[in-house]
Amino acid sequence: MLASFDTHLFWTALTSGPYWRGALTALELTVVSLATAIVVGFFVALGALSRLRRFRTSAWIYNWLFRATPTLLLLIIVWDVIPQQFTVFTHNWFTPFLAAFIALSLNEAAYMAEIIRAGLLAVDPGQELAGRALGMRRWQILRRVVVPQAVRIVIPPTGNEFITLLKLTSLASVISVHELLTAANEQASISFSYREVYGAALVYYLVIVSVLMFLQSRLERRFTFRSRSRGRTAVGLAATAHDAR
Amino acid sequence: MNETVLRAEGVRKSYDGLPVLQGVSLEVGRGEVKVIIGPSGSGKSTFLRALALLEPVDAGEVYLEGEQVSGLKEKELATHRSEIGMVFQRFNLFQNMTALGNVMVALRDVRRVPRQEARARALEFLARVGLRDKAENYPEELSGGQQQRVAIARALVMRPKAMLFDEPTSALDVELVREVLDVMESLARDGMTMVVVSHELRFAHHVASSILMMDEGKIIEEAPPEQFFSAPSHERTKRFLALVE
Repeated sequence: MLASFDTHLFWTALTSGPYWRGALTALELTVVSLATAIVVGFFVALGALSRLRRFRTSAWIYNWLFRATPTLLLLIIVWDVIPQQFTVFTHNWFTPFLAAFIALSLNEAAYMAEIIRAGLLAVDPGQELAGRALGMRRWQILRRVVVPQAVRIVIPPTGNEFITLLKLTSLASVISVHELLTAANEQASISFSYREVYGAALVYYLVIVSVLMFLQSRLERRFTFRSRSRGRTAVGLAATAHDAR
Repeated sequence: MNETVLRAEGVRKSYDGLPVLQGVSLEVGRGEVKVIIGPSGSGKSTFLRALALLEPVDAGEVYLEGEQVSGLKEKELATHRSEIGMVFQRFNLFQNMTALGNVMVALRDVRRVPRQEARARALEFLARVGLRDKAENYPEELSGGQQQRVAIARALVMRPKAMLFDEPTSALDVELVREVLDVMESLARDGMTMVVVSHELRFAHHVASSILMMDEGKIIEEAPPEQFFSAPSHERTKRFLALVE
């Protein structure tokens, strides 16, 4: 028969230091990696859309290389292979967290580049044409017109990437980053109470993703360009679009 | 007295070996309104985009107040584009900005006008097209006619030397055409130099200094409205007028 659920053990795990720190590490790693990936990905996307062949080629190579390399392999390369080649990376400053951050950012930037490229392409070309007709320069049009409109398109897939990345951080346990799943595994190996310790870990993931989803909907509303009662459902949008006509 | 504002000379353009403009010349004096008509594919829109310096041409020149403005470097081109107002068939208002934002943005970015002054001038021009009370509305919340009037205000606020209209009413529901034509008529009365691609023949009859017939990348006929409608000299023009009326 199944043993009854040990609520006490569940709470102990949930509130334990290693879990907190593990979850915080996972969250930090996700946030800094995604933030970096968005910045790098933006420039790779611009490269891919450039009129200059050498930018397009560089962007293509980046995309090809970092989408093809498995995340786990990339983690191992950054943590084990590179220090063998360059001794500066054997010093103390090169922590597992830093290595994981580099690997995840490089990997994620390739995905973000594709998402951002699609977002930029989805903006009506008439918008850029109108900007040019007014005498605006390309970078002004990009900053003022194209990027704000692309952001709205890019938010939902970026939310997906955040969640994927959050889960990928557990891969960093192989290079001894102490993230959430590492903490859970350690607990499990001590207590053998799998339901309680992994259940507690699941709670953290659920909470983090809930907060993300809340922030995402706020952000989507912020980038919906209407004046009255911001943020309505698709049905509401269709109804008011009809009224406006 | 009738000094030339905008002049095109022998403008040629092909797409993939397909000739679209086959040596088009045009001279527009100050305060003149030239209306261009012609079948689709005759090169009207391409010619207008060439006049707006949005389309690099294969041969020929465009002069603005006697100065050659075609074939320049991007930076100088951008400056000259801001001196020529362009209104598009599909309005192309910046979707992420309010009506006010649309009218202000090029004053700020291109002319470097301080915010308060840009705002005041933008409001003045919105009032001129009768949309002062829609300043805080986003394009999505405006009717097609209102959007097109904002687009006209956006071009006018730059105090252009000439205004170009590319089928400004053809994307509008019939009941919204009048409000846009009214604005254009009042501009013409105020002495704005204009080139209009349009099939609104009543407007053309009323407002045009002369009407031009384009066919297969050439201007085949130019005459004052009375003569153009009563006694077109070209067989092609007669047939086209019969179709449009």
